[in-house]
Amino acid sequence: MENITQIVNKVKQAPWRVQRQWIGLLLLAIVMAALVAGLSINVTTRAAINGRQVLMLTRGTEDMVGIDENKQENAAMETELARLSATEKMQARAMALGFHPATSEEITYISVPGYVDNPPINLTTRQASLQPSVMKVEYSETLFDWLTRKMAAGVNP
Amino acid sequence: MKFNLSWRYLVVAGLLGVFALAVVFEIIHIQTDPEIKVLIGRSANVVRYYYPPRGEIYDRQGRLLAGNVPVYEVGVTLELIKDPIDIADAARKYLDRDYNEVLTLLANPPEGAKFLRIADYVSAVDAEVMIADQENWVGEPDENPLAAFGFIAHLGRHYPENDLASNLLGFVTQEEFGYGGVEAKYNNLLSGIPVALLIPTNPRRAVELPEIPAGDSIILTIDRELQAAVQEILNQAVLETNSKSGTVVVMDPRTGEILALATTPTMDLNDYRNVDQYFPNDGYTYTPFNRAVSQAYEPGSVFKVLTMAAALDNGTVEPGTIILDTGVFTYGGWDIYNYDRNAYGYQDMTGCLAHSLNVCLAQVSTRMGNDAFYSYMQRFGIGHLTGIDLAGEVPGRLKLPVEQDLPSSDPAAESQKWYPVDLATNSFGQGVSTTVIQMLMAASALANDGQMVYPHVLYATVQNGRQHTMSPQVAGNPISADTAHTITEMLAVAVETETKRALVDGYRIAGKTGTAQVPADNGYSDTLTNASFIGWGPADDPQFMVYVWLEEPNTEFPWGSVIAAPVFRQVVEKMVVLFGIPPDAIRMQLAGH
Repeated sequence: MENITQIVNKVKQAPWRVQRQWIGLLLLAIVMAALVAGLSINVTTRAAINGRQVLMLTRGTEDMVGIDENKQENAAMETELARLSATEKMQARAMALGFHPATSEEITYISVPGYVDNPPINLTTRQASLQPSVMKVEYSETLFDWLTRKMAAGVNP
Repeated sequence: MKFNLSWRYLVVAGLLGVFALAVVFEIIHIQTDPEIKVLIGRSANVVRYYYPPRGEIYDRQGRLLAGNVPVYEVGVTLELIKDPIDIADAARKYLDRDYNEVLTLLANPPEGAKFLRIADYVSAVDAEVMIADQENWVGEPDENPLAAFGFIAHLGRHYPENDLASNLLGFVTQEEFGYGGVEAKYNNLLSGIPVALLIPTNPRRAVELPEIPAGDSIILTIDRELQAAVQEILNQAVLETNSKSGTVVVMDPRTGEILALATTPTMDLNDYRNVDQYFPNDGYTYTPFNRAVSQAYEPGSVFKVLTMAAALDNGTVEPGTIILDTGVFTYGGWDIYNYDRNAYGYQDMTGCLAHSLNVCLAQVSTRMGNDAFYSYMQRFGIGHLTGIDLAGEVPGRLKLPVEQDLPSSDPAAESQKWYPVDLATNSFGQGVSTTVIQMLMAASALANDGQMVYPHVLYATVQNGRQHTMSPQVAGNPISADTAHTITEMLAVAVETETKRALVDGYRIAGKTGTAQVPADNGYSDTLTNASFIGWGPADDPQFMVYVWLEEPNTEFPWGSVIAAPVFRQVVEKMVVLFGIPPDAIRMQLAGH
């Protein structure tokens, strides 16, 4: 019986060892929690920064023209171009340059084989067709989704 | 000592523990408290309104007729106002607002308002002056009288051509509502759909903003250069003839496309706030925004082309049918005379048209009879809306024999009844009222192998960069192709013999003049007339149709053949150059190749 007690005492770790193991586990948990918190803050911060940048791109800042402002400027420039090339102005400029409106007697018609008359107006190409953009997955996935995705990428690179 | 130290440790640990528990408790409280949940819900999203820019309007060559420019909404942040007098003074100086009105507005702001609008649609030039003065204030910031002002830029309508095609385009009010023309007719299409979006304030819940589509742009069938030329010719004609108004419409009879539409008065569309000055409607004076579609009138002899076409198609007469014109024709108890009260003797149908003989046409329509004549007129669309895509169209008036028995108790209603003599007078365009557009649509059958087309001004729409081009719509076949060719030939001969002022060198034209008396309180005015001309060409392959109407000209010779026919000629001379339509001989030669 005494032998058994001696063996148990030998196998059983010293109290300070047990204490150290608990402390180690606790520290490990704290480090893990800190890592998770850090990652979370990182993702949140990046999302906030990106959101802010989107806002700035839309509205513009003192140093940068925003999308809304850009659209307004484009519209203004197109209208200004139309105003500058309005019929009345173009006629006045042509007259000042010595031109006059053509009459039917001044026009010579010639037959040009293969000539195709002006095609009908088509403004399709004036404005690029806007395809809906796809939001990157980083903006919507959770941390767990991200970890799963990274792990899956590690398994199947 | 050892005991004291342990006690202090325990107290500190206990306090930290309580603090930690309090933090955990508060976290749980925030997460679960219903009141806080409501508060979070309220502030988690903000509602933001997006107004799509209004679609643009182009002519058939893609030249801009109506676009957008930045304008400013100018207002004040109420909590930043130091002295309302400064605000009212600045509003008067920079925004041309009434001083007292602004003071009253500031004294009674809407409940809960933080930002009060003082003016909207302020031009960029004016707003930028104000912004510069606000930013360049050299005194103490607290003393800046413009400090409370805020400026919100947005897009507003602008018409780079000012009054060009103004009656056809219409304009947009400050409430973003289209008035007149295509701006009204296609208001829903052009304005797009305003969108209200819930935007999460939490950046982690950021969602992608949907693309807010702008209003559709539209391409019109009109040609800017031709429109400008027609307006210039018309203005000159109205001036020279002292006419009350004038209207000229150019249409492609093969498709119904309106190539130019000019009418008086016009207006600078950028000055739409003064629309009442351009178009006075004060109870005594009525000025339609677009006379071509909104004002019906008795067209007079130009209507004879429809009567003759119906009679030829019906088989009542042939081009060689001879009628004896004794200068008077009695029908329904009334005597009908020619415009000059002369007798023209034996005349074939071409002669009847060339001399514009009322006596002859009245005999033709009465030979046709009520049923046939009015059936044809209805097939031509007389008395009905054409359906043109312009705001404010009126149907005109075609009285029918079924209306002769309508009960009436006052003279005005009596005049609306049909009488047997109407069959005779309607044949030469009296007692029937039409719009210019209605006459063009009806006559398109004569120029287009018997096929009548719907008049329209919309060529295509452009949505998200994709163009949808409209197809011509057929409105019916009131007459046969043979009849159409025959009447066109007769009218070409009539122009060559009797309406030389309408002739265009190198081009064979079919056409008809009209000089109509103007209805008055008791019958017809002795002095007022309407001068008209309708014509199309080239006669063997019509590519254009032009209608000219000069309302109540005050000149020595107010006849359609004298004052309206030359306007037609001038328009066609411009048209053939701008549209590259070669003279008949060259066209035949090129076709031979």
